[in-house]
Amino acid sequence: MTTDSTGGSLPDAHAPAGRDFRQVLAGLTQLEHVRGGLLVAPDGLVIAATLPPDIAVEPVSALAATLGRELELRGPRLRRGTFLMAHFLADDGAVFLGGTPIGFIVLLTDTQVNRDAIRHALREAIGSIRQAWPR
Amino acid sequence: MWLKRLWTSKTETSGRPPTTVQFFRQATLHRNAGRFEEAAALVEQGLRLDPDNVVGLLLSGSIHAVFREMDKAREAFQRVLALDPTHPRALLGMARMALEEGETEACTDFLRRALARYPDFPEATALLEAVSQGATDAAPRPAPATGFRVERLRVPQESREALLARIDATLIFAQPRGTSTEEVATRTSRVCRLTGSLLTRCGLKGLKHAILEGAAETTFLRADGEIVLSIAFGRDVEINAGLAHLERVWTNCHQELSSQVAS
Repeated sequence: MTTDSTGGSLPDAHAPAGRDFRQVLAGLTQLEHVRGGLLVAPDGLVIAATLPPDIAVEPVSALAATLGRELELRGPRLRRGTFLMAHFLADDGAVFLGGTPIGFIVLLTDTQVNRDAIRHALREAIGSIRQAWPR
Repeated sequence: MWLKRLWTSKTETSGRPPTTVQFFRQATLHRNAGRFEEAAALVEQGLRLDPDNVVGLLLSGSIHAVFREMDKAREAFQRVLALDPTHPRALLGMARMALEEGETEACTDFLRRALARYPDFPEATALLEAVSQGATDAAPRPAPATGFRVERLRVPQESREALLARIDATLIFAQPRGTSTEEVATRTSRVCRLTGSLLTRCGLKGLKHAILEGAAETTFLRADGEIVLSIAFGRDVEINAGLAHLERVWTNCHQELSSQVAS
């Protein structure tokens, strides 16, 4: 059973791995130096979130979805190809953003994070969601 | 499908068909859990019974947006606004789509209308802050520098496109320069501003660099509060090599801009 964000429970015994978004996100947020993350739909709806308590989810989800869409649209428009993922480094941390058929994965990390390890894990997570959502 | 079985058994037991409220409540549960196809099916059934149901139309807009069916999403939000002209969620939906189309003024207008009705709307507040940072988004000023010596920047030969712009999207140089260069500058500037807002909301300080990986190209960005440098390579570029190029060209850009000011 999966508990949804409104408190209801829905059976998902036969769902492919990429459809269990909370499991996908949990796998990523367990990685070393990852502070938290969320999975947000293109309209900004939070599907799953595990952010530190001092970070408000709604503004982050709204901006992440908008940025994700901008990157998604920018690719084909400027002949950069389909958007896969982005890494934004700041002085005191980093944000990774991955595109999937149902929205965007956002990971918040420390600066010490192994960039390539996160890229690899994110790529796998994106792949599993794409497999589950082939449209 | 288990859901159909669930509905069937319920209706058979109670003898009553599900109400639109039940349809949309169940659809909301599915959408919030990321079960978009199930949610879409229920919304469609609910709207067939009650085509002007605001909850159903909002759900419809949201689910169409998930599947990137933006025309249908817009239509749903417009129908909500026809019924309730200041509905904050519908206005937010319209604002997002306006921004995607580069219509910053329209986006700002939708967001202000949403906030007039619901002043504590966190998503609209965050988006308005990000958008307001780039009020000149739609109309970049003409390039100011005529004596910019591009050869001094040492742009790597393997780069597909290099571009330096002010944060308001005013182009300083581009190599090569083509019909889409202005749009690249506008979109690059927008990415930087959205990223800056996102990092701030995540409790992080300003953007140092960004790596944007696409299926065909990898783009490296470097920015401060005033200018942004973008260098695009083929998809197989080694990340550390790309970053080294970025740092070198960035330093050279600053030196060249400083020498221009001095002369």
